[in-house]
Amino acid sequence: MRGRVFLGFIAPSLVLMIIFIALPLVSVAWQSFHATQGVFEDVLVESCTPGFLTQTCVKEMQSRPVMQAGVAVTSTRFVGWDNYRQLLQPDAVADAFSPTGHGMSAVLNIDFYNALRFTLSFTLITLPFIVGLGLLLALAVDDIAHGLRGPVIFVTLLPYIITPVIGALAIRWLFVGDGVLTDAIRWITGHDVSMFAQGWTIELMMLFYRIWHIAPFAFVVFYAGLQTVNKDTIEASVIDGATRMERLRYVIIPHLMPLIVFVTMIHLMDSYRVFDEVVGFAAHAYRISLQWLTYSFLTPDQTGNRAVARASASAMLTMLGIVVLLLVPLRRTWRDHRGKS
Amino acid sequence: MLKNMLLSATILLGASVSAQAACNFANTTPIKVQAPSFPAWVAVTDYMKTCGNVQVELDLQYKEKQPAALAAKPALYQFAGLAVNSLVPLLNDGTVRPLDDLIAKYGQNLQPNQLIRIDGKVMAIAMMVNVQHLMYRRDVFADLKLAEPTNYDELLTSLAAIKKAGVMQYPMGGTYKSGWDLATDFVNMYFGFEGSFFGAGNVPTVQGDAGLKTLAMMKALSAYMDPEFLTSEANTVQQQFQRGKIAAANLWVTRAGAMDDAKESTVVGKIAFAKAPAAHAGGKPATTVWWDGFAIAKNISDAEADAAFHVAMQGISPEMVKANNAAAIWLIKGYEPGKYAVGAAASAGAGAPPYPATTAMGLMHTALGANLANYFSGRETAEQTLAKIAAAYTVAAKEKGILK
Amino acid sequence: MSIAIPALRTSAPLRIAAGIFLVGWLVVAAFPLFWIAALSFKVPLDAFSTNPLDVVLGPRTAAAHGGISVQSLLPLVGIIVAWAWQRRNDLTRRQKYIRIVATSFVTVLVLRAVVDAIGGPLTRPLFGITWEHYYEVWVGHAFYRQFINSAIVTAGVVCVSLTAGTLAGYALARTSTAFAFWLLIAALVFRALPHSVLLAGYLPTLINSQAILAPLWHWQATAWFFQLFTPEAPTLYGRILPVILVLVAINQPFTIWMLRSFFSSIPVELDEAAQVDGCTQLQAFRQVIMPVMWPGVITTGLFSFLLAYNDYLVTSLLLDQQSQTMVPAIAQFLNSENSAADQIQAIAAAVSITAPLFLLVMVFQRQIVSGLTAGAVKG
Repeated sequence: MRGRVFLGFIAPSLVLMIIFIALPLVSVAWQSFHATQGVFEDVLVESCTPGFLTQTCVKEMQSRPVMQAGVAVTSTRFVGWDNYRQLLQPDAVADAFSPTGHGMSAVLNIDFYNALRFTLSFTLITLPFIVGLGLLLALAVDDIAHGLRGPVIFVTLLPYIITPVIGALAIRWLFVGDGVLTDAIRWITGHDVSMFAQGWTIELMMLFYRIWHIAPFAFVVFYAGLQTVNKDTIEASVIDGATRMERLRYVIIPHLMPLIVFVTMIHLMDSYRVFDEVVGFAAHAYRISLQWLTYSFLTPDQTGNRAVARASASAMLTMLGIVVLLLVPLRRTWRDHRGKS
Repeated sequence: MLKNMLLSATILLGASVSAQAACNFANTTPIKVQAPSFPAWVAVTDYMKTCGNVQVELDLQYKEKQPAALAAKPALYQFAGLAVNSLVPLLNDGTVRPLDDLIAKYGQNLQPNQLIRIDGKVMAIAMMVNVQHLMYRRDVFADLKLAEPTNYDELLTSLAAIKKAGVMQYPMGGTYKSGWDLATDFVNMYFGFEGSFFGAGNVPTVQGDAGLKTLAMMKALSAYMDPEFLTSEANTVQQQFQRGKIAAANLWVTRAGAMDDAKESTVVGKIAFAKAPAAHAGGKPATTVWWDGFAIAKNISDAEADAAFHVAMQGISPEMVKANNAAAIWLIKGYEPGKYAVGAAASAGAGAPPYPATTAMGLMHTALGANLANYFSGRETAEQTLAKIAAAYTVAAKEKGILK
Repeated sequence: MSIAIPALRTSAPLRIAAGIFLVGWLVVAAFPLFWIAALSFKVPLDAFSTNPLDVVLGPRTAAAHGGISVQSLLPLVGIIVAWAWQRRNDLTRRQKYIRIVATSFVTVLVLRAVVDAIGGPLTRPLFGITWEHYYEVWVGHAFYRQFINSAIVTAGVVCVSLTAGTLAGYALARTSTAFAFWLLIAALVFRALPHSVLLAGYLPTLINSQAILAPLWHWQATAWFFQLFTPEAPTLYGRILPVILVLVAINQPFTIWMLRSFFSSIPVELDEAAQVDGCTQLQAFRQVIMPVMWPGVITTGLFSFLLAYNDYLVTSLLLDQQSQTMVPAIAQFLNSENSAADQIQAIAAAVSITAPLFLLVMVFQRQIVSGLTAGAVKG
């Protein structure tokens, strides 16, 4: 395809992605090295607020922004790696590992490392479950009577298509407080369990929710792949006396390999930016994720201030992480590309 | 679908006809209103709508959108419903206008108490106060011959008795959800221990004795709460009460009415409303008084501001209060305090301070919300947590520019 | 395609194990949704009861609003019996329908007689059901407005995304330059971006768009064009169009990757043949390639649909109440100061949101599988 025609074809998508993704990204990178500050002056202010029946007036020193032509004055300056340092706190980490420090547990009390730890383990623990469960489901469904497949696929897909906010809510309602499953666990074990009272149970629930939600996606991709397994190869392997496990290992899995890579990549990207679960399960007292950290910086604080600089730094670090994670599966794409050209 | 639309149209018509008498003029300037979404605002904005040409947005995320929406030129909304803390960002940005001349023109019904003055100029109008105060199960306390607790030590004793008697496993409720709610409870208790958050030049002083006492007391209380307390906000506590799960909580006065709603409550008539307990014997009630009200945008024409304020006065008219007397603790003329206002009035009467809405306090509140949870989940000691709060505040305050 | 070689027949124990596994999964998959559906039909006292049986059966709901008794379930039983019975015969469609109607009618009559004879417990409501929450949501809160907004956003995203995506996907499948490769990699990294990062840039821009865009409306060279649409630069916050574009952009990397692999599976010879016949590349694309691409386009479209319909982060921040879609509306409902009744209404709304998704999967389930089979297998 010639260059100009090619550009014409990709232009609409390219323009959209440049305006709505690339440009914001460039500004994020720029902001992560800058800090914007307001200019304040201390003045004696008399302010009155209502009491219950009478008014309370106080005179006190308050910091008030300096205004110029009705707009608060701000100054922006280059701060180098300050924002990153703010997040990574290298001094505190060095302290923690010094002879008098508290080691890893102290490091994990720093928000960024706490989020990184959770995000990484969330991503890596759910991955094998999702691929495995998806594969098992695909094999199982491929084996049942044709008439049953339709309804089974339908029910299986439900957790995937459901709106994530609603799905998380549905799971949460089962476990929160006196939810029906909490009661069931209590009844079975005789112990009073509170699923939202400690970090590890919440983490377990978030893992469970993600697997429940995404495994159907892996399933449907693998199931589609199974429909194209070469029948002759299977027959040949049967004649060679291959057992079921051997057929699975030497014929089916290699055939599905590109799909496993595909599902793995999609899953790595999606779960590395885990966010919905933290909000849906109100988990932030115990577990936070990298995207949640970014989001919380961006949420205006009680003074209407968004910590944009720190959020940008945190976003850049998140991006760096995902690129590193993707390098492994991407090596294959790169080799393919090199092979082609 | 069509049937639904017709039905709702008739419902809307019905509502506006019955309230038509409320507005004494016909508004011709289009006014856009943004306000928090809770029942009192629904009542007020419904009255405003009767004047015509009023478009209302009741938005849960108003705090996030309002500063930007009012800073736009022209502002997206003429009328901004807000609370004591959300006025601060608008004042900092200079996006709301002084109201003195408009008050002179239309504000005959306003009480002096409603005028929020900043440096002599009225920048906002308050319409109601809200305060966290003690609600407790009258029947449970009476059965065990427990007196109404006046401070938290007494409350702890009562809770121990209730637990020991086997009435409830977790007799206490608390709005301890990590973030804004938990921080608010900390602020209440901290003022109860006569703590102060800042020294000269906005330096944080939270790492003192009062901070440690506050954390210790809050942790002692949390031992009587359902272990999931770090995810529990006002809705949760309200439901715990309604389902008969808890015997006491320091809860917002706007929640009082729901306790007696027979449709969802199993404890109708059994809840007593009392002054917020003091942090220690002889102290003031450990709670802060908040107000809700509105401001008018600056980046709009004077005619629009005039119309918006005129409409707003219809919204907070004595007629509105008469029709919705129980919806809130109104500051408006004509309000008759009912039984739900008793506890709030007693708290304010005994000297509960107003919530100190300043820039520094806003940053402190945020720092508290982000860092308190680690203490309650047992990952950090009280000293470590307070140090982290002070550090987080310092970073934010330097970023903001109020700390050198 | 199932593999019909006798030697491949699964052994009995394995079949049983697989069956148990599948049934277990189906229960896990469906139970949470069944549960919220059950909640949404109950009065608050039942829905929040500590006894799970109350939630399912709803005694207080039944007392207040009635419900479903064994008796009222009879027509359903009749239809199921009739359907199961006719399946065994090779009849024309018309005969089938007649038989279904006739059999179900007879079954209902017979069962009805039996039930009436026993009377008592069978005529009393077994499950309490109330529609009041749904009525409140759709009529009282005019939820159809959010439904319409959701429909517009979703339709817009799917159309724009597929139009731009098929073009780009096709071009990328037919090129192997380094530029195309790096474009794909960039798209991949874009897909991995946390959305909250991008949103921070969108919100102030959209709110201030009137001031930002004003030059375009005043600068002579472009003014005539833009003033065709509106006399003044618009405020884009709270408008549906920018939200559609944002969602399309966010989803575009995935769409492009997916469609590229579909196009790769179509032999190049096909468009070469078309070009020999004198078609331009665009004509070849439209007249020769697109017709064989529908399974892939439908599958990709479904993913766009899910993204747009289910989005919460973008829509909750960039839309105002007039233009709000259903998902953020529910979250508002749930998080605001509310009563137990409000919460059940939110659940009823949540169930209402899920219903179209149900239909969607029912209708397109076959296409999803066949679409994926056709394309994505190539990775």
